[in-house]
Amino acid sequence: MAGSGLTGTTVPRGHRILPHTADAGIAADGPTLEALFEEAAAAIAELSADVEAPEPSEAGEAPGRHVRRSVELSAPDLVGLAFAWLNECIGLVDVVGAIVGCRVFAVDVRSGEARLRASVDLAPFDGVRIRRRADVKSATYHGLAVEPVPGGWRLTAYLDL
Amino acid sequence: MGKRQARVRRPASAATTATLAPPETSAAAPVRLERLDEVRWRIPRDPTLMMRVDGLVFADDRLMAALRDDPALTQVANVATLPGIVGASLAMPDVHWGYGFPVGGVAATRVEDGVVSPGGIGFDINCGVRLLRTDLTAEELRPHLARLADALFAAVPSGVGARLGRRLRPAELDAVMTEGAAWAVRHGRGTPDDLERTEEGGRLAGAEPALVSARARERGADQLGTLGSGNHFLEVQVVDRIDHPEAAAVFGLAVGMVTIMIHCGSRGLGHQVCTDQLAVMDRAVHRYGIRLPDRQLACAPLESDEGRAYLRAMAAAANFAWANRQMIADAVRGAFARTLGRPAEALGIRQVYDLSHNIAKLEEHEVDGRRIRVCVHRKGATRAFPAGHPAVPEPYRGVGQPVLIPGDMGRQSFVCVGAPGSMVASFGSSAHGAGRNLSRHAAIRALRGVDIAAELAARGIEVRAERRDLLAEEASLAYKDVEAVVETAERAGLARSVARLRPLAVVKG
Repeated sequence: MAGSGLTGTTVPRGHRILPHTADAGIAADGPTLEALFEEAAAAIAELSADVEAPEPSEAGEAPGRHVRRSVELSAPDLVGLAFAWLNECIGLVDVVGAIVGCRVFAVDVRSGEARLRASVDLAPFDGVRIRRRADVKSATYHGLAVEPVPGGWRLTAYLDL
Repeated sequence: MGKRQARVRRPASAATTATLAPPETSAAAPVRLERLDEVRWRIPRDPTLMMRVDGLVFADDRLMAALRDDPALTQVANVATLPGIVGASLAMPDVHWGYGFPVGGVAATRVEDGVVSPGGIGFDINCGVRLLRTDLTAEELRPHLARLADALFAAVPSGVGARLGRRLRPAELDAVMTEGAAWAVRHGRGTPDDLERTEEGGRLAGAEPALVSARARERGADQLGTLGSGNHFLEVQVVDRIDHPEAAAVFGLAVGMVTIMIHCGSRGLGHQVCTDQLAVMDRAVHRYGIRLPDRQLACAPLESDEGRAYLRAMAAAANFAWANRQMIADAVRGAFARTLGRPAEALGIRQVYDLSHNIAKLEEHEVDGRRIRVCVHRKGATRAFPAGHPAVPEPYRGVGQPVLIPGDMGRQSFVCVGAPGSMVASFGSSAHGAGRNLSRHAAIRALRGVDIAAELAARGIEVRAERRDLLAEEASLAYKDVEAVVETAERAGLARSVARLRPLAVVKG
């Protein structure tokens, strides 16, 4: 889904970690909802793990010991979908490994329901090149926002560490 | 699939770029505060903010000075909007900004027509504290302290991603969630005396493991007996002051005595249970026509399928946490025995108490002259029942329930006892700790270049941590003064100080 905004203007995609009294916040930007949710996953990846690993192959296949998980989620609305997506990423890190790649194929928002299809590449932690950085308990609804901005979308979320 | 996966980019430098102001909730303007006395402040009920009752904040001048601009006060007002809330939306002396509920928030809702809100318990269901006492003195222990710290660090998995060597089988995990601490005792990891001196006997009735998701089970299956990270810790302490000699004697505490304090919760299993249930409640809110100022306050009637399911899943997670602390306590006993070359019984290691500070309890309280059943949400708050209450363990019933209040790493912690006025003042509740006043990032920035472990070692405190660079997050600078919290709790009639404990060794999660 493309963003609204000025003709010819798109939001550059990116993400950053934000301070919070006890925990952490994340902010992500993207020209489309799909890009936005990918950047949100990248923020979770950065917060939760340190990875020194080769990049995935040009063919797009998960190399080596990487695990690829397919994800399909639904929620009552876009904010609920962001809650579900962020927590799916957090859960996958806790039980599989570091997020090293992610593709959000589609984010569909209709009246009363929002859906997402994605795949996530994860590298099991080995304590050497792939290490946990922070235990993230959950993403919260507190201050969770997915908002149109000129040229795209912005997501803000707070995480309980 | 065909398309190249988006690569996760790693920044070349530190990621922190901006400080985001706390998001606004229902009150666009600061909440109104009326001072009632030296330690109580009222937030008057404001129908324009959908408040159904007043807010009531327990804070002295020092604590309120830090709170004035803290969004926690707005959160206290938001909690006052919950359907069925009675009395007031309460803030304990260590209150600070949380998710939906503030940390240090207490709210009681009528069982017959009120709601339960998972955010009023928190993601770390049954995060809590256990205290053990010993016959050892600090002087006796001092020559062995470094080796003991090593032994504890080896015996109790701690830090980010702490894991056991094996995963519990599904049937085992079901048993843990059903039996709680008793599961561990049944497997030789403790005694019935431990259970007697644990809130709820270490097992909340009504747990239904079938309501715990596969993801929650997956997260928790190899985490039983682990400390976790963040502000969780295992601390060897010395009692350096007795404030209430009668209660101290009953609890088995004396000046110079070595004690051990354990602070941890339900690990990934509990976090996931809360996350799962919040999503259920988020849908339920609309079905029941509940309007909320903050989505994180998602809730459902206690007398609904969703409400009942939450309490049963919460109980399962709470029992996992009690089993967790029981396993860790047993590992602590073993480490002491191996280090000192004598059995734990010969060292006089005995449990003082174990209590929860993130939980919902169905209790009977007097409201407007009538005794009614309520659901008491305690998030970053502890139960603090007074002398004579039937829920207080029989050995302690003459003085009251122990209240364990850890401070920050490196300073002091307190053992208190529930005060006679707590039932009327706070639904039998009190503070749970020091409360943060600096973010993790701010603490790290303020203490850049400071070797916290070395500073603590210079004061004779042994520190063991997986990530010494993260110790700054939990340094004293980042926390309020726990002595101010305890003094306020005393003056408010919530709990009374029994003993002060100072750290000798810390295993940091």
